[in-house]
Amino acid sequence: MALSLEGHTTRAFDGDLSSLHLQAVAMGALVIEQVQLAVNAYSSWDRSIATLVLEREREINLYDAEIEAAALQLIARRQPMAQDLRAVFAIDKVVTELERAADEAKKLALAVLAESDASGFRPGAASAREARALGRVAAAMIRAALEAFDRLEPGAAASVVQQDEEMDAEYANALRRLLTHAMEDPRRLQATIEAAFIMRSLERIGDHARNIARHVRFIGGLDGAPTRVWPTSSSRADPTERDVL
Amino acid sequence: MVKLMDALTVERASGRRAEEARAQEAPIEAGKTVGNIIVDDPIFSCRDVDVFYGEKHAIRKVGIDIGRNSVLAMIGPSGCGKSTFLRCLNRMNDTIPNARVAGSILLDGKDIHDRKQDVVQLRARVGMVFQKPNPFPKSIYENVAYGPRIHGLAGDRVELDEIVHHSLQRAGLWEEVKDRLAQPGTSLSGGQQQRLCIARTIAVNPEVILMDEPCSALDPIATARIEDLMEELRQSYAIVIVTHSMQQAARVSQRTAYFHLGDLIEVGETDRIFTNPRHRLTEDYITGRFG
Repeated sequence: MALSLEGHTTRAFDGDLSSLHLQAVAMGALVIEQVQLAVNAYSSWDRSIATLVLEREREINLYDAEIEAAALQLIARRQPMAQDLRAVFAIDKVVTELERAADEAKKLALAVLAESDASGFRPGAASAREARALGRVAAAMIRAALEAFDRLEPGAAASVVQQDEEMDAEYANALRRLLTHAMEDPRRLQATIEAAFIMRSLERIGDHARNIARHVRFIGGLDGAPTRVWPTSSSRADPTERDVL
Repeated sequence: MVKLMDALTVERASGRRAEEARAQEAPIEAGKTVGNIIVDDPIFSCRDVDVFYGEKHAIRKVGIDIGRNSVLAMIGPSGCGKSTFLRCLNRMNDTIPNARVAGSILLDGKDIHDRKQDVVQLRARVGMVFQKPNPFPKSIYENVAYGPRIHGLAGDRVELDEIVHHSLQRAGLWEEVKDRLAQPGTSLSGGQQQRLCIARTIAVNPEVILMDEPCSALDPIATARIEDLMEELRQSYAIVIVTHSMQQAARVSQRTAYFHLGDLIEVGETDRIFTNPRHRLTEDYITGRFG
């Protein structure tokens, strides 16, 4: 007897799950780009990139609303059970994490557009290196979390945890350096505080990635065994591999 | 860093263990059920139950306890043996020529296949409600009064009236039929007929109620009434229900048993079975991946 047949008896169910999964991955790819764009806008203090970030933010919010509505529909129409139920539940949470990660990225763009420092000192100039370093780790963490989500390999989620340690170290370094700047020249204090908030935002993006990894493990269930809940995995043509910058 | 690597190694190893566990699931070995088949103070305790219909081995080495004051749901694709097993519990398979039951089925610690066991008594203690409502071609009153009368449960007419009243009330039917007790049972709607059959079953003071797809011929509202009734009845009885609706199993039961091709594959708390089943076959069935 065949132990595991691929897909649901009701094929439309596969279609629904598949579309939810692909939409979430596509949204994730957009969020990765968004983080990279935001870091770019901040570190080069470029208002046009910052404006682009804000425009794209609307697209991300739209994804969030659409995926949530589709997940609700799927629950109402298909009454998913077991791994399907866990997956739909997790997708909703993953999407929320992605949306919040994008919100953090938005803060970088807003800082650029606000130009709040009266003395003409730009926080971005003082902390461009730190922002790039943290942004690189944050984007990599989201990418790793999304890959884990896409392939549903329990081991893949572990790499996100590893990167989170790296993030913590980078964050501590960044704050230390910012503090040194501030002590050297107290006139930079306001800019330093603003920059510290930006570092905090980037660090928070890493936290969201870590939460995504947690939700991926939840899909795996109690024993954390590999599941095959996605009818079609996008892992071969990895949508997160697009290079934007 | 070393600590981190250790953590990762453990992670990978546990992933591998889980994979191995899944791989070991096939082939299925009779009597090797995933999950805990034992409950405290069971009303029924079944071990190594085999049923043969002639040459056909219908169920193989089924072992499961049935708890008091709770609902056990049995699910599985058609022909998996869940109804066959249900029918073992009050020896309904005795009525099928060529059927042979082996293994031990203890009701309150006593073997129901004991030579001294009176089958009529057994079926009063272990009542059954069928898929299609099957009231006797008699009045509503007589449908309920018949059992207590033949079992001598009522001393006089007043007591019998009391039993009929009480049973109809427990079955949630009294208010609807109290003014038409003399009308034929078959004049009721499908859902009312099914509740009449439940009243008939509980009129003889059973300990266990077996239900074989009791709602499959009913509309959603009548179904909801029966499900609501089951929740009430389990305060007094053990209930075993066979159902094709997984949502129903999830709604009404405390434990769920999954059968597949004559094997009891998995037993567990309903809360867990429908969110985190352990066996791949259970997973495939409840997520609608085959069957």
